[in-house]
Amino acid sequence: MAEVSFHSEIQGLRLGNGETFYGEGILAVTKALLQSGVAYVGGYQGAPVTHLLDVLVQSGEMLEELGIHLETCTNEAAAAAMLGASINYPLRGAVCWKSIVGTNVASDALSNLASAGVVGGAMIIVGEDYGEGASVIQERTHAVALKSSMWLLDPRPELPTIVRLVEKGFELSEASNTPVILELRVRACHVFGSFEAKDNVAPAYSANNRLAPAKFQYNRLAHPPVTFPQEVAKFEHRLPAARKFILEHKLNERIGPERGDIGIIVQGGLFNALNSRLSLAGLSDAYGDVQLPTLVLNVTHPLVPEEITSFCAGKRAVLLVEEGSPDFIEQSIAHILRKADLNTKLHGKDFLLMAGEYTPLVLGKGLAQFLAAYGRKNEPLEDWIAGVEQRNGEVAKALSTALPPRPPTFCTGCPERPIFSAMKILKKEMGPVHVAVDIGCHALATFPPFSQGNSILGYGMSLASAAAVSGTQEHRPVSIMGDGGFWHNGLLSGVAGAVLNKDDEILIVMNNGYSSATGQQDLPSSAPEDDGRGRGVDIEDAVKSLGVRWIKRVRTYGVANVVKTLREALQTPDDGLKVIIADGECQLARQRRIRPERARLAAAGKRVERNRFWVDPEVCTGDHSCIRLSGCPSLTVKPNEDPLRTDPIAHVNNDCVGCGLCGEVSHAAQLCPSFAEINVIENPNLWDRARHRVSQALIRLFGGGQGRQAAPAAEPTLVPAE
Amino acid sequence: MSDAKPIRLLIAALGGEGGGVLAGWISNAANASGHFSQRTSIPGVAQRTGATTYYIEILEGGAKARGQRPVLALNAAPGEVDLVAASELLETVRTIQAGYVSPDRTFLIASQSRVFTVDEKSAMGDGRLDPERMESVARKFAKEAVIADFAAAAAAARCQPNAVLLGAIAGSGKLPIPVETFRAAIEAEGKAVEANLRGFEAGLQIAAGAAAPAPERDVPAGPARTETAGEIETRARKSLPVVAANIAAEGVRRLLDYQGPEYASLYLDRLERFAAKPGIDATLVRELARHLAVRMSFEDTIRVAQLKLRGGRVGRLRDEAKVRERDIVEITEFLKPGPEEIFSLLPPALGRGVLRLVARMGWMEKSFPMKVRTTRVGGFLRLQMLAKLRGFRPRTLRYAEEQAWIERWLGLVERAAAVDVEAAREVVETARLVKGYGETYKRGRGNWDRIAAEIIEPFLAGQLPAGQFADAVLQSRLAALADPDGARLGNVIESVRSLSAERRIAAE
Repeated sequence: MAEVSFHSEIQGLRLGNGETFYGEGILAVTKALLQSGVAYVGGYQGAPVTHLLDVLVQSGEMLEELGIHLETCTNEAAAAAMLGASINYPLRGAVCWKSIVGTNVASDALSNLASAGVVGGAMIIVGEDYGEGASVIQERTHAVALKSSMWLLDPRPELPTIVRLVEKGFELSEASNTPVILELRVRACHVFGSFEAKDNVAPAYSANNRLAPAKFQYNRLAHPPVTFPQEVAKFEHRLPAARKFILEHKLNERIGPERGDIGIIVQGGLFNALNSRLSLAGLSDAYGDVQLPTLVLNVTHPLVPEEITSFCAGKRAVLLVEEGSPDFIEQSIAHILRKADLNTKLHGKDFLLMAGEYTPLVLGKGLAQFLAAYGRKNEPLEDWIAGVEQRNGEVAKALSTALPPRPPTFCTGCPERPIFSAMKILKKEMGPVHVAVDIGCHALATFPPFSQGNSILGYGMSLASAAAVSGTQEHRPVSIMGDGGFWHNGLLSGVAGAVLNKDDEILIVMNNGYSSATGQQDLPSSAPEDDGRGRGVDIEDAVKSLGVRWIKRVRTYGVANVVKTLREALQTPDDGLKVIIADGECQLARQRRIRPERARLAAAGKRVERNRFWVDPEVCTGDHSCIRLSGCPSLTVKPNEDPLRTDPIAHVNNDCVGCGLCGEVSHAAQLCPSFAEINVIENPNLWDRARHRVSQALIRLFGGGQGRQAAPAAEPTLVPAE
Repeated sequence: MSDAKPIRLLIAALGGEGGGVLAGWISNAANASGHFSQRTSIPGVAQRTGATTYYIEILEGGAKARGQRPVLALNAAPGEVDLVAASELLETVRTIQAGYVSPDRTFLIASQSRVFTVDEKSAMGDGRLDPERMESVARKFAKEAVIADFAAAAAAARCQPNAVLLGAIAGSGKLPIPVETFRAAIEAEGKAVEANLRGFEAGLQIAAGAAAPAPERDVPAGPARTETAGEIETRARKSLPVVAANIAAEGVRRLLDYQGPEYASLYLDRLERFAAKPGIDATLVRELARHLAVRMSFEDTIRVAQLKLRGGRVGRLRDEAKVRERDIVEITEFLKPGPEEIFSLLPPALGRGVLRLVARMGWMEKSFPMKVRTTRVGGFLRLQMLAKLRGFRPRTLRYAEEQAWIERWLGLVERAAAVDVEAAREVVETARLVKGYGETYKRGRGNWDRIAAEIIEPFLAGQLPAGQFADAVLQSRLAALADPDGARLGNVIESVRSLSAERRIAAE
């Protein structure tokens, strides 16, 4: 089950006509889907759209009432293929994923879908993971919309507009028989706001009201020879129908004064950022009352030539605000203007950045340049830019050093960390090996203190990416893959391929039980629980059935054993694929499960054991080798209290979950004797107490207990149970 | 056009700290006060302890004021943020670096607490940033600043720091939201309400100017003063410069505990050798006293056993782990001595012989992993046996080797002092490199040996330009601490050698 519980949000999804929905952008999209009468929803988790699926997974009852089919797909290709239901049937469907990566995985199915066209509205909701906070390669989904002729919605980032575009998007899809992509940037997915809700609409056909199989119609297949007329249809029928719909329903917005010698065309998603710069320039206000003619493109593909030309006609110049590269919209508008023989000057990437996020500073600078070029030099804007730059210089001077970065790291007690500790220990012994990295939490091992990995080629692709490396080096390449990547793509693209080709390489599969990086969604191998979707499919059985002979299972926290197993995999004469399944449940999920249970037992006076680690401050000499082999957030440093030493010493804080890695590493790497494990027995029973008393008495008998000097007053303080 | 300007807030936090909840409280309280607010964030993978931010805009009066929906931004703009709240000192400075804190506008609420980055805490020496510098930058660029240890305040209130930050934000009076409404927002959330309200009150007090509680300090249960300590200490205070005497007295206490009065006297003998020398100043003696005491109390197996049996240790540890009085604590020590640690307890000749044999058999990498329960009598006795070997220590191989090293080091200091007192100071500091156990100890000794042989000795022999002596020793020490593989040290030694080559060319 997912990391976040959406108990109260689910109530928001049930709101009816005239009630006010308040919540996150991506959940507003979810509500809009229900209001649009979707018959099926699917997708693959990934920031920033994960919550859409998570909330629906937890809304089983409501989906059943409405007759909506929910599919937690094993990858984006499967999700895209699901939209095939809308090719033949009047079923509205929506799928979602993280883009660009998910769109790439999905693109085979998307191309086929777009060629055949749809009769039921088909919507692809993508989280455009671009700019600050993004975790993937920086590319635009726009390119995919262009090449497959799918329409691209980029709504203003406020809930009423987003919801309207979802609803209108389905109509647009049906009016033009074309799948529609709804693109939301990270901040738009996570923006909190409100809109006036409507009743949810049950789909006309569903499990509650079944329909007959479609008649055989060859032209519904994406198969030659009909693929040729389908390509023609895209431009002869679907495109004009879409343009007509966009104009008629005013999906794009003309705001500001009717006339003016200069104007701005902006992607809907960037409007709020632009408006805040216009406000600073005195050209708008906090209500978006823009004083320059502005065309907001809530639909960025297709453009409607009449709309563009009527906006540009009579203007000396327009500034196009289009984020990311290549400059698809700018090229299209230039093309439209040329064809219409309009000589309105078009600015865009000449004043704004060609690549990278359009932050307030980038937008401000571009806007200032544009205004200045047309005789409207704007003092407030330019003063602001000068001020920001001057202060940046002052701050740099005052700091005098670079600030250390703070990338994400493995959580406290993460079961994946020990594998990388083991690899680091083994590297010292055997020298470096080629490491193929995958997508998932384990990719955090590319950051310090592990700093390892030679390539990242996509989700579930690590093993495949090492295929041509195998056999070219002294040591076998090692590929890392999570159970998420394994089921997403790795089993077939990686394992089957390596077996087929007898590649001599090593695969480590992190079997932590969930798709952890995205918020602990269930996978086929997740343990089947009452309300979960896991099926307990065994990874070992899966690779065995593909013909892998060398398979070892390790408990990740047993570092010495992991080192031994990995060494064996590197040295065994077996020249096929060697698979190590590294078992260790995601600690976030585990703690979420056991912590309340433990607290409940302790509060009820039941015997509870908890353990954690501790660094002996007098024994630690402050070299921090242990940290270089772990990087655990709860293993940190603190000032040395010894007046004779100044280097800070290692210290385990109270976040420690007692995973045992510290002790294992200090043993496996033969580090130092500073680590101790503390077992606390809360509410000890009679036997515990008796044993403890006897031990203490015996220790005292042999001269221990009070030590050689009077102990300082260190009576345990009484801390109420949390 | 409307003149209304939104109030802009930026929260800087680490993933998993509850920054999103904090943003929610503020935004909900703003809405409940009749304003229009919008909040957003970029959590992504940063939710796994990475640096992240949350951004809120609040428009007073909100939609009612105009009958029209406000259009608010989703990104903070540098120079236009009215209130910045940061849960950690480095993240505070990061928001300043990004331009979000400006002297003409920004009210800054920042925590002095540190969560060290991996870069800082994995350094081989002290990699921590200077907190005073960071705090002064924070004060310099904020219009007004409330800087306190919010983590300590949260620990004292037994809640998350986000509730304390909320209290400070509410108490700042910078937002058009009544304090009561913030409380209501916490209550409406319905999670850990009592703890969060406690934290909220603590935050209000911080905003009102009350100092946050000082963070807990750990004081190790060190050796106690004894009569003998008094005597030898008196000698230290008499024979050594005042600046050095306190450290030397600490050293004396350490070595009495470590070995005995004779050994402590040896320590003072060694120091006095230097104190009497012309040209050697008091600070050099002080640093020498510091490092000599540490090196003379080298961490052999006997010492480790002794430290692990210290009285008061269990109490301290119970405190730290927040153990209730009625609960039982068991301690398991993780020990893994290798052949060097074990056989260096033998007399020198025998020990060397055995180690040679072990090396010949290829067993040097072998070691004996032990988990010793010192809270049970069996484990206690095993360690006590080891600790009781203290009297035998001066006859061990390790003792002989350590004393030889100390004499070599002191000799280098002496010779360096005759040439250049600054260089001598740096030679004293090289003792820092020798520390730890097992691999760490070997690496440190290896680095020190290289520096002694390839930097210090050539300078003393006049093979390198004397003017560079101190700097070369300093650079090589820093380089030795830069990476565990000795790569940087190699480079520095290489570049110092080239000085000698240049000299030869110049001479020719």
